[in-house]
Amino acid sequence: MKTNKLIAAIVAAISLTGLAIADSGQEIYNKVCTTCHASGLAGAPRLGNAGDWSPRIANGVGSLYQSALKGTPKGMPAKGGHMTLPDAEVKAAVDFMLASVKDAVKPAEAKKEEPKKAEAKKDEPKKVEAKSAVAAAPAASVAQAAASAAPVVASAEAATAGDINSFNRLLKPASKRNLPPPEDGIHDPANDGTHALQPPLSAFGVLPKSLSGNRVNWVEAIAQKKINPRYDRNDPKAEPIVMDLNIVREVKGSMPDVVYPHKQHTEWLDCSNCHPAIFVPQKGANAISMAAILLGEKCGVCHGKVAFPVSECRNCHSKKKDMAKAPTPAAQAK
Amino acid sequence: MKILSKLRASIAIAAVLIVSGVLFVDINDAQAEYGDVVINNYSDGAGMRPVVFPHWFHRVRFRCKVCHADLGFKFQAGGNEINMVKIIDGQFCGACHNGDIAWSVENCNLCHSGKPNTPTQVHESTVQKLAQPAGAPKK
Repeated sequence: MKTNKLIAAIVAAISLTGLAIADSGQEIYNKVCTTCHASGLAGAPRLGNAGDWSPRIANGVGSLYQSALKGTPKGMPAKGGHMTLPDAEVKAAVDFMLASVKDAVKPAEAKKEEPKKAEAKKDEPKKVEAKSAVAAAPAASVAQAAASAAPVVASAEAATAGDINSFNRLLKPASKRNLPPPEDGIHDPANDGTHALQPPLSAFGVLPKSLSGNRVNWVEAIAQKKINPRYDRNDPKAEPIVMDLNIVREVKGSMPDVVYPHKQHTEWLDCSNCHPAIFVPQKGANAISMAAILLGEKCGVCHGKVAFPVSECRNCHSKKKDMAKAPTPAAQAK
Repeated sequence: MKILSKLRASIAIAAVLIVSGVLFVDINDAQAEYGDVVINNYSDGAGMRPVVFPHWFHRVRFRCKVCHADLGFKFQAGGNEINMVKIIDGQFCGACHNGDIAWSVENCNLCHSGKPNTPTQVHESTVQKLAQPAGAPKK
């Protein structure tokens, strides 16, 4: 029974702090969020502006929490850039901002608002129940109240982790891409120089996108003249010596043949970077396999490190085979 | 009594869930930029933070050829045995980081900005992912 009491006390304390945190939403807003969310800086939804908030509420409060906690590619920094804030306080601030538009959004967005309202209603009475249980504190009823309160807290916990893809270890969510140096896990945030470094997104904004790597299509970036990196470190006018020659490599199996374009490579590189150390400049002299590439040899010296990784199969395997031939022998064999 | 013990079990499970949620929610894997190179040949030993070289930043400004052909950087993280003497003598990073083309060597903390004890690596490289299964705890 003693352990029961202890657990009950812990659970009640947790739900109580939950109540206390709810009050501090406005404080957090005033301290942190107001910088952008008062004026709408960088496209932030403004406090009390129903038009800004209604499309965002449409995806549910859970996704708003996630955006606030983990940041968005649109510009919301994770936790507003204050990584020391507890999750609960960030959520409280979101709740505060949502409360500011609740009345205005309700008539127009009655349907979309409903699930959120229901959620809030569900939470409130149960929290109160837990609180009163602590006040009264007869042993038996505490245990009961705790039993009813515990699942509530647990389900709240589950709801915040409700992003289905958060379980996918391979898929990096948008909020974890192109983070500024202090948040990227490699740079030391305690180092003053770290904070002087350029955040990647401030450079990537205008560049064409891709599905992998930095999420930037670097070849297109040059082709579209979005960037013009120097070809010589001193002479800004030096022009690359571009060689326009495609090499087709026939591959086994059903994969399309590889077309290797010298053009895109010589835009960036010098002949001596690849020849003769990595690739012998002679037809048939280079045995290349995906295994070698995956281990960082041949194409893998760059592709999979800085150039697009092997997940982009069709960037290289781009020449369709004559598939009309293939089915015939198979059919004959039968 | 059976009901009570069931209750107790469920409470205990809930408590464990909550505590574990609190403990493990904030574990953060490195999310550095694709191609960021950490160079830690000598830094840790010298009491400096390891160097983080952002490929993306440099390729916006210079083509690969400038460093990898003209300056002789090998295509291998940590393979160039760069040290501060070479840099001050104008080799490797020092070819540009001399106060003329880019800021000079006095700005130690702009390069030496990695978390201490981060191993030499090309961050996010395929090899790194292969050698270390996605779910494995990061070292």
